[in-house]
Amino acid sequence: MARALPATIALIVFFALWEAACRGFAIPEFLLPAPSVIARAIAAAWPMVLNHTLATLGTVLLGFAASIAVSLPLAMAIASSTTIAAALYPLLVVTQSIPKVALAPILIVALGANEAPRIIVTFLVAFFPLVVASVAGLLAAPPELIELGRSCRAGRLQELLRIRLPFAVPFVFGGLKVAAALSVVGAVVAEFVGADAGLGYLIQTSMAFFRTPLAFGAVVILAILGILLFQAVALAERLLFPWSSGAERPALAA
Amino acid sequence: MIAIEGVGKRFSGRDGGAVQALEDVSLTVAPGEFVAVVGASGCGKSTLLRLIAGLVAPSAGRVAIDGAQVTGARTDTAMVFQAPTLLPWADVLKNVTFPMRLMRRAGPGTEDAARALLARAGLAGFEGRLPRELSGGMQQRVAICRALLQQPRILLMDEPFGALDALTREEMSLELLRLWTESPMAVVFVTHSISEAVLLADRVIVMSPRPGRVVDDVAIPLPRPRSFDQEGLPAFQAAARRIRDHIFRGQAARAAA
Repeated sequence: MARALPATIALIVFFALWEAACRGFAIPEFLLPAPSVIARAIAAAWPMVLNHTLATLGTVLLGFAASIAVSLPLAMAIASSTTIAAALYPLLVVTQSIPKVALAPILIVALGANEAPRIIVTFLVAFFPLVVASVAGLLAAPPELIELGRSCRAGRLQELLRIRLPFAVPFVFGGLKVAAALSVVGAVVAEFVGADAGLGYLIQTSMAFFRTPLAFGAVVILAILGILLFQAVALAERLLFPWSSGAERPALAA
Repeated sequence: MIAIEGVGKRFSGRDGGAVQALEDVSLTVAPGEFVAVVGASGCGKSTLLRLIAGLVAPSAGRVAIDGAQVTGARTDTAMVFQAPTLLPWADVLKNVTFPMRLMRRAGPGTEDAARALLARAGLAGFEGRLPRELSGGMQQRVAICRALLQQPRILLMDEPFGALDALTREEMSLELLRLWTESPMAVVFVTHSISEAVLLADRVIVMSPRPGRVVDDVAIPLPRPRSFDQEGLPAFQAAARRIRDHIFRGQAARAAA
């Protein structure tokens, strides 16, 4: 709790300054609404905002789940064979070099205006750092420990399950935290391009009618979503792998 | 027991060139014998251990244990590395029993044996701790217990005290001797500390740097149990001087060349 105190104070000061600036300089609402105005805008349109939030949350969670489901097996394949790594890594880099915003409209034409293209865009934005972190984790086991396994005549599968995978856990969670935050980004990118619901859609339609406070409200909710998702991953790590949190912190793969 | 006959080992380097790590190494180790291997960095000491462990195959010659050629990892050898290399997610007890569980040799008595071993190593009460809660010396003790629990006939130690501070190192050397006296096994102990080698071993093998060859095989005539008081004895001094001469003469010869 004591650790959260400076952040709480900083946040309160930030919002107070924002509020004071908006009132003091009489900044027009459609340029920069004050926090109180944003809060009122959300409260006034609450059921509608909640629906949009749930739509975005669905896309985020499905895209995040897809990126986990694909990344972990992919990382194991890459870590287990240099040939597979040499074959797949360039392809992965290619998928990362394509701007997802450019890909989204194409996917929507190909797959139709439904949830699928949004999940795929979210997945494409989120999965790469998770693969990179997981591969790094799977290769992080000290060579002596691998030798210990070999000297106990452990097979490749045992080596993977009992030495490499547990060693990868802190790295995988590092990747998961990045992927969680990126899932929110991916979902909004997809909603900008083609959606009839979601916070990204809400931002676009609000701005079209200069309802800036509501657009800002959607942004605030997106930030909260990202923070909650990040904290949920951190909590899962603390509960499931207490030895991992506080262990060697892998640098977050960008 | 261990017979190494004319063993050579070449590694192909990353740039395509080959490195001759060992050349024509022959030596034998008797059952229950404590043999130290000393040499400058890069003399292939660690490679020698891995050849005995069956983790790497020789390029020339043969390694045999009890007359049978070593072709792969054996269950009667155990290894201790310079770093403790414990599993960070497992507590001390789980770490000690890990190889036994990996080899599916863990039985109902394994855990009790592990507890007894930890108690002998001064780690009673630490069974439930995680490795990161222990000091470096305690972690290495856990690693030694992990090796001893396998009741190996051959214990291979690769600079096991190299990462410890000088005081812990001396304390651990004597503890190792005590554990070795209680459960006899052949020990091959790689180190670059001459005094450590003389204090611990029945014989000290001196190796030359790349390619690693056996330069001398020095018998240590000191009585057991050993202690640091013996460091002042003429026999200790003579053995240490003989080993040091080999190592520094080799270095001087290379400097002149």
